[in-house]
Amino acid sequence: MPATPETLILNVDDNEPGRYATTRILTRAGFQVLEAGTGKEALRLARSASPQLVVLDVNLPDMSGIEVCRTLKTDPATAGIMVLQVSATNIAVLDRVSSLSAGADSFLIEPVEPEELEAVTRALLRLQRVEAELRRSLAEREMLLREVNHRVKNSLQLVLSMLSLQGGEFREAGARELFAKAIARVTAIASIHERLYQDTDPLSIDMQTYLSGLCAELARAGIGDERPADLRTDIEPLRLPTENGVSLALIVNELVMNALKHGRPADRPALINVSLRRLAPGQARLTIADNGPGMSAGQLGASGKPPSGLGSRLITMLVRQLNGQLHIEHADGYAAHITFPLQAPATWDSKS
Amino acid sequence: MGLEVLVVEDQVLIAFHLQDLVEEAGHQVAAIAHDADSALAAAASHRPAIAIMDIRLAHGTSGVDVARRLYEKHGIRCLFVSANINDEVRRQVADLQPLGFIGKPFLAAEVIAAVQAAAIAIESNSR
Repeated sequence: MPATPETLILNVDDNEPGRYATTRILTRAGFQVLEAGTGKEALRLARSASPQLVVLDVNLPDMSGIEVCRTLKTDPATAGIMVLQVSATNIAVLDRVSSLSAGADSFLIEPVEPEELEAVTRALLRLQRVEAELRRSLAEREMLLREVNHRVKNSLQLVLSMLSLQGGEFREAGARELFAKAIARVTAIASIHERLYQDTDPLSIDMQTYLSGLCAELARAGIGDERPADLRTDIEPLRLPTENGVSLALIVNELVMNALKHGRPADRPALINVSLRRLAPGQARLTIADNGPGMSAGQLGASGKPPSGLGSRLITMLVRQLNGQLHIEHADGYAAHITFPLQAPATWDSKS
Repeated sequence: MGLEVLVVEDQVLIAFHLQDLVEEAGHQVAAIAHDADSALAAAASHRPAIAIMDIRLAHGTSGVDVARRLYEKHGIRCLFVSANINDEVRRQVADLQPLGFIGKPFLAAEVIAAVQAAAIAIESNSR
């Protein structure tokens, strides 16, 4: 493999004849060589000239070569530089081990045969190239991911803004409400993206902020009535796998929209409670309750016949998706309870 | 009466949506700008009380830079509404007395509440 002209090696040795010999071998092998006689100078040149490899003597006048190596490997700016530690005196097993433990990529005992020095140099440069390529492609991936994420969020925002502007065109209450419901459904799906990436864990979602935000949004959506409703939330900080989180949010959305539409009492202000609680063991319960007139025939689940309408179909389907059970109560107003098993969300290790 | 708000957002649909929300919150949009130059020109001619600021603007300009110039030149504080809000952005604008940060896709209720809170902050400051 021919040495590429941009391959630069830093040769660090305070002993002039030794330094000369190493430089001569490496130059003859076709590499460009920079020299340093002290640890300080070596660190300065490593940072400013960015060599691919440092041939580093252990005994230096100002500091130990092992310390120089440790400093290089802990600074992200120089950590990608390969270090070949060499020594004529500190050559016991323990010396070699402590050099390698400090981060050196290889160790050679001086005097080194020219062929061996050249071969080890080339082997380390191969590793360096692979590592640099990996770092580059990882950085590129991260940049791409950020870009895609930005596009997704921006596009979802455009969809919501478009729907919202178009909904504002209608004067007739029925059409406005249909639009409000469409916007609420899209919002429930879209708003998870606002939270996913800023979170440290993109595989699960914190239901407390997600559902509280959606409920605040529904309270002003103008569904059922132009008056804003008193929507109270009592949601435990609970993380669900992202898939389940979206399903649950859509269920909350449908049930709260139902309550806004059908659950408003005639004689007092409407009050809707949304709660999500952990039940021992491994189960949680979502409850949406209103203080309205309760069930009338034909509403969800009434009279035993299958409910119709998109909202009811969505609820049935999504509850099944969560492996949950829907239980309706008509004590004081109307209450829907959904009990579902909690799966441990897949854990995300950002370092992996 | 309400505040005069400058909306700096390069997507015109989103800008109109924000305008509706500012009005729903009881205030008015003085101008809509899509990049650094138009934002600075609008700030000079309309003297808005606050700005709603996107981070990525047209022509490669940055809302962070625009926010700094609005603050230093006119004392205008910003409510940041962007798909790009992260710790880095928060740090960069920390000394500009930001009025808040809202991620995209935003909830309308969130924007309305933030504009109302901003109005209270501005009015209690100017008194």
